[in-house]
Amino acid sequence: MGKLISTTLTRALLGLLIIVALGPILWTVLGAFKELRDIVTPVPKLIFEPTLDNFATILRNPTIRDGLLHSVIVVSASVLVGAVLGIPAAHTLARHARRWGDDVQFFVLSLRFMPPVAIAIPFIVIYLDLGIYDTLFGLILVYLITTISTVIWLAVPAFERVPHDIEEAAAMEGCGPAEVFWRFSLPLAAPSLFGALVFTFVLVWNELLLALTLAAQNATLPVVAASITSLGKEVPWGVINAATVLLVLPPLVFIGLLMGLLNTMVRSGPK
Amino acid sequence: MTRKRFVILSLVPAIGLLATLAVVSIAGAVWFALMNRTLRSPDYDFVGAYNFLRLLRDHRFFNALEISAIWELVTVTGTLVVAVLLAVLIFETVKKPLWRNLISFAFLVPVLLPRVAAAFIWRFLYSPSLGAINYLLSLVGIGPVEFLADPSLALVSVAIVDIWQWGLFFTVILLKLMETLPRDPIEAAKLDNARTWEIHAYITLPMLKGPLISLALVKAVESLRSFDLIFVMTGGGPGTATETLDLYAYQMGINMGGRISYASAMSILLLIVTTVAFTIIWKAGKKWAN
Repeated sequence: MGKLISTTLTRALLGLLIIVALGPILWTVLGAFKELRDIVTPVPKLIFEPTLDNFATILRNPTIRDGLLHSVIVVSASVLVGAVLGIPAAHTLARHARRWGDDVQFFVLSLRFMPPVAIAIPFIVIYLDLGIYDTLFGLILVYLITTISTVIWLAVPAFERVPHDIEEAAAMEGCGPAEVFWRFSLPLAAPSLFGALVFTFVLVWNELLLALTLAAQNATLPVVAASITSLGKEVPWGVINAATVLLVLPPLVFIGLLMGLLNTMVRSGPK
Repeated sequence: MTRKRFVILSLVPAIGLLATLAVVSIAGAVWFALMNRTLRSPDYDFVGAYNFLRLLRDHRFFNALEISAIWELVTVTGTLVVAVLLAVLIFETVKKPLWRNLISFAFLVPVLLPRVAAAFIWRFLYSPSLGAINYLLSLVGIGPVEFLADPSLALVSVAIVDIWQWGLFFTVILLKLMETLPRDPIEAAKLDNARTWEIHAYITLPMLKGPLISLALVKAVESLRSFDLIFVMTGGGPGTATETLDLYAYQMGINMGGRISYASAMSILLLIVTTVAFTIIWKAGKKWAN
């Protein structure tokens, strides 16, 4: 009997934890389909007539549409360049650099310690002087700090897990280092590398501070979403909820992949 | 292609670009910190240490320093405590892999949310007039509580959102780490009639000391990027109750007249403090883990 009560209690507790994890998001999704009068009720409404007005409002709004477009361009360009530059560098750090490789890796990691404000403030003036303030190119350039360093940081362990034998055998057959990288290491490490790129994508997609300081008209979606509250007097909660859903969707698509990345990182042994 | 050429070709563009951007931003910050540059006018002069001396007399700066320190402390300890407790709870009570995976998926969702989105979601929940939390509180006769407008509650209310995102994420990592631990010491302790909490306090958690230190460091670095969350949720208010250093630097450098030089001086100090602090913690952590 006592055991029954305790299992019931733990089950209830676990259920509550899942509600704490997912509830806030589900509540926001519900809110995105509500009319404002269904939101501003003293007693929260679970049953209501769903409407697509909020989504229509944000997709018709040119500012939000531009923000979405800018986000897509800036994020894909910076992740792509980060991958093209970072992945070969990571392979070299994992395979060809024994003595000074650790120092380079520490430098790359230390970039993650830099407070974003310390990047944003000087860059705003430099960009104004160079005439690239409020351009997508300028945003892509600062995001490269994040994408290249994150790609290298996550791709080095991925290449270290590629079996030495295969690369050595290929080298014995007369493959040059570039060929070994391109034909053997890269395909073998590809699944982990893809996870690394997804993680990088999520980081840049979610970024606010740099976009907020270095762009005005050409801002990304987080900046536009953050400024919605100041539209008009009444807080348009339905519209805010719909914009939040739009912002949340791309990272959530990749949740399964991130779980896989997490599993391989834990399995390969914590350092 | 020779090995040497491949090494140079693969490494130089990436590391060169990173180094250039890092040097430009740090050198730029130092340079501007020694000038009196503002966004309003293109003219500026050399003023030496004037900006740094003014910082030492700026109460708002010290307030921001204090808020930042509290923020780091609350979010890092909060995240680790939540992660350890929940990981042990799930490890002990959920034995089926399917259920563990489902819970892990649910717990991974919050950390994936953009900070801006998480901030809006919780601002909606915290709202005194239409928020779900205040509705639940009103059922037990409390409220309405002004979570974000009450100076004594605002920082904790925002920190809870941060812990919601990262504590649940770290729970999943810890749970996976616990699954990789060898079973023998745990079985041996069970034979000795050790209580569950004793097994974890004296066996599993000490075995995970290294990863726990790494997680604490990762979270400490991550907590420095609190700007997005605080900016959307409170904007540093009420008053300056939630104004961390990065928020104050942003307000000074961009919002209030664009005092670039003053904000640069502040970000230089922030950079020095974090670099020194993390180097010390990093070394101490390595020593302690061994």
